[in-house]
Order: sequence, then C-alpha cells, then structure tokens
Amino acid sequence: MLKSVPPAPHEAPARRVIESTLAGTPLTSGAYETQFTYDPVALMPDVKVLKMGGQSIMDRGRAALFPILDELVAAKDKHKLLLCCGGGTRARHIYAVASELELPTGLLAALGGYVPRQNARMLQMLLANHGGLFMLHDDFEKLPLYFRLGCIPIMTGMPPFGYWEKPTEGGRIPAHRTDAGVFLSAEVLGAKRAIFIKDEDGLFTDDPKKNPSATHIPKIGARELLQRDLGDLVLERIVIEYLQRARFCHELQIVNGMKRGQVTAALEGEDVGSIIYKDT
Amino acid sequence: MSKPARIVTGDGRTHIASNLMRESLVDRRVVKKTDSDQEFAIMPDVTLVGLGGHSIFDRGKEALLPLAAELADVMTKHKMVIGVGGGTRVRHTISIALDLGLPTGGIAQLVGAMEEANAVFLNALLAKHGSIVMQREHFWELPLYLTSGMLPIVISTPPYHFWEPPPEDGPLPTHGSDFGLFIHAEVLGMQRIIFVKDEDGLYTRDPKKHADAKLIRRTTLAALLADMPEETIVDRQLFTAWRTARHIREVQIVNGLERGQLARALAGEDVGTVIVKEARDA
Repeated sequence: MLKSVPPAPHEAPARRVIESTLAGTPLTSGAYETQFTYDPVALMPDVKVLKMGGQSIMDRGRAALFPILDELVAAKDKHKLLLCCGGGTRARHIYAVASELELPTGLLAALGGYVPRQNARMLQMLLANHGGLFMLHDDFEKLPLYFRLGCIPIMTGMPPFGYWEKPTEGGRIPAHRTDAGVFLSAEVLGAKRAIFIKDEDGLFTDDPKKNPSATHIPKIGARELLQRDLGDLVLERIVIEYLQRARFCHELQIVNGMKRGQVTAALEGEDVGSIIYKDT
Repeated sequence: MSKPARIVTGDGRTHIASNLMRESLVDRRVVKKTDSDQEFAIMPDVTLVGLGGHSIFDRGKEALLPLAAELADVMTKHKMVIGVGGGTRVRHTISIALDLGLPTGGIAQLVGAMEEANAVFLNALLAKHGSIVMQREHFWELPLYLTSGMLPIVISTPPYHFWEPPPEDGPLPTHGSDFGLFIHAEVLGMQRIIFVKDEDGLYTRDPKKHADAKLIRRTTLAALLADMPEETIVDRQLFTAWRTARHIREVQIVNGLERGQLARALAGEDVGTVIVKEARDA
C-alpha cells in the first residue's frame, strides 16, 4: 500500500545529489563553460568519412558506381574508410507521398531513413569480397574492430534522429538528412574533413545542370557561403550552419565521382573538387 | 501524385516520378512545396507527462511514492504516456565526461542510460497497475497499450547520440529529455504536454537561488521567446522546436510535490504554469 504523505512545499523531501561540478544545476543555461576547462579529445581523427551520393551516384547505377568502388578498394589498405550512403529518388518519392498525406516531419525522417539503409546494403554486397561490412548506428563503437580487421564499414548517412527530427520551418522535409549525418559522424570521430562524392566538381555559382555559364568555386568559407543567401546549396543548409561551430570537422570536400581519380586524390588529402571550410 | 508511379531515365540517373523528382531538397522553393497549414494528427487525444529526474526522482521515496499513487489513479481516466528525466546521475556523467574531454556526441551517447534507469524504477512501482516500458521507437505499439488501459513509460532522451549537433555555446548536448519528450508528443500529434517538477511552475528567475523570482501563471510561447528567463526549468531546445511545431498547443508545468496538481492539470485545470501557443503565433 502506497502511503500518501502530502508534504508542504517548504519542507519538500531533500534531493540526494552526487557531488560534481554540475550538481544542482538545471543544465538549461548555456553559460557553463566558464566553470571548467574543456579540452576535447579526437576519438579517431585519421578515419576518412565519405558519403556516396544517392541521387548523384547510386541512382546512376553500375556505370557510375563501379569505378568509384574500384578506387575505394584500391585505397582501403592505406586509409580507414567509413562509407556512408545517401538516399536519392526513392527517398524523394517517400517525402512526396508523405507530404501529400500531410504527415509530420519526424515520420518523413524515419521513413526517409529506409532508403539510404537500402543503398548501404547494396554497397555492402558489392564490397563484401573486399571487407565491406554493413553496420547500424548502434555498431558505431565497433569501428576500431572493423578497421583493425581491414574492413570497410558501410552505414546509412542519415543521423539516427528519425521520429525525433524537429518540425521543419516552412515545409516538412527533414533538415537533417544524409549530409548532416556524415558531417556529424566526422565531427564526433574528430576527423578534420568529410568527403562527399557527387556527380559535379563541387560548388558552382549556379546549378551547372541548368546554367552552363555557372563557374566553379574551389574554396569558400561557411560564413561567406551562407551570406550569399543562395536559394539552393550543394549540401544541406544545416551542415553549413553546424560547420561554423564544429570543434573538429572544419572542412567539407565535395568531389566528382564521375571523374576517375578524384576520390583517390581526395583521400590523399588533395584539394580537388570544392572545399567549404570553417571561417576563423 | 494521383498518377501511378513511373520510372524516368535519360539524364544518366534513374528517377521515380513524383513532385520532388530531380529536385534539390535543399532548395527553399522545393521545401516550401511540402508545407501546409494542416498536418495529420496521429494520436491527438493522448497527453504526454514528463516526470523530472532532478526535481522528483532524486528526492526519493517521499516524493516518488505519492506521485506513483496519483499516477495509478489518473491512468484509469486519461490516455497518457509517461517519460522520465535522469537527474543527478546525468549531471555526474556529464561532469566526468567533460573532464575527460569526450566530444559532445560522445556525451550525448552516454546520458540516456541514466534516464532509462529511472524509467525502470517507475515501472517497478507501477507494473501492478499496468505500466510498461516502451522500447526506443516502438511508437506503433502505443495504440495496443493505450486501448488496453496500460500506461506506457517511454525513453525521454532523443536518439541523437553520437550525432548530437554542435551546440551554439559550450560543449553540453542541448537535446535533452524535455526536448525529447516534446518531440515525441509533437510527432504523434498530441496537443498537450505536462511537466511534473518540484516548483509551482516557470519563474522569471531560478526560485531556488533568487527570493524575488516571480511565478509565471500563464503566458504564450511568443511572449516567452521574446523574454526568455536566463535559467528555465525545462530545456531551451523545447521552446525553439515548439516555434515550428504544428500540434502542441499547451505546455503545462506543475508541482509534483503537491498532491493532486497533476490530476487537476490532466482534468484541464490551469494549475502551475500554462504556456500556450496561439495558432501560427511565434
């Protein structure tokens, strides 16, 4: 039988608190950094975090994909590769259907996650013979094992937010999609650069598929890019915002997987394609 | 979209016809096409109740048992889902993790376990009345639990884990349990969320530190965003997310140390602090 004791507010039962620098704080104020020194550790800074474009590469099929896989296989004993996958046209179809049904953003994010997971499984099958290994978000802590075994871990690019994705302002397409997940994976691993494999040389002054006079931008700061207030961007807008306050991942490199050797050059640290960097 | 799906090729890519085909999902005009004033509400008649970790659980038996008795009573009258916070163990975890220099995502990966422990504690107290701990995202089991009169206890920390976005200031993860519960309620189309804490509601300043703090009885989200207290009793991310939310109309904060406040709030009374979002306000 539960005993119901109505305590008056002034004699509320005491909190049992574990002593620590944060004991008794509400954790809702941002002004804590002054109370302690924080010197973050890079977990695995030498991992190369790559994203295989969904619409730009996977939806092109074998002709586009196989040469890129050859480059990755050739590089895998020299570099630790974490291969993440984009969605593409099936994700767009899911978003379109869900939008017509007026379903919430969180549901779109959860369902949109199915497609890059399918793509990651396709890559695993194609790379199985070379150590391709499909992994879930929950396997992230096993990365050191996979690298020690000489494997190529392959996962979805989507972050695991799913149903917990925030409602999108002025629309319902989730703000965090596969570019965001790839950037956040690089950031938590402490990798300096995230590499995005697409079917263009990177960033242009306008969409090169629609405007042939668009010129290539080899390097640009995140702040300047956002200040241009372009209606469209080569990567998810939120990634450029996050880049500005990242502690480790300070460069986003976009390379053209359709050009032989660009992925290899990017893995060697060459500034091919376009680089968006964190301004200091 | 009324036409059957069709496969489109010709530009080297293979597309499925839809009104987002070939579109850049980053393009603001494209995103806007997916907006609407309506949104389908999945479970609109359910109320989400969040129990504070630091404010309730850390006070132990004296605070928790009367509240458990109250929950056992109200669960027979209202369709509700319960979430719990982690409290002092979360603070200790973060404090150690910060000293070790773990990255923000690493800290976010750790904290949820302390809240799960509180969920199990609560379930142990309420199991004989029909409570059940729902697995991480098993939303689609909720209709089964609710129509059979059970009380689902859900995981409150959102699964942002290693992928916690870089915070605007400081290294602490900002997507905590209050935010997680808010999104949980929002995505299911609920209209109300009640936070059970150890204060009579939201104050202009932290009432534990400032004697001149004033209780805010009723306010709107717009007013709160315009004049946000320096320290709030719930996560700030909650208010940011609420701005773009479609369903949650009301967030109520009640005092769980006073018997009957939760029951009165569930019955629709304006106890504690009531924050309302006016249609498309903010």
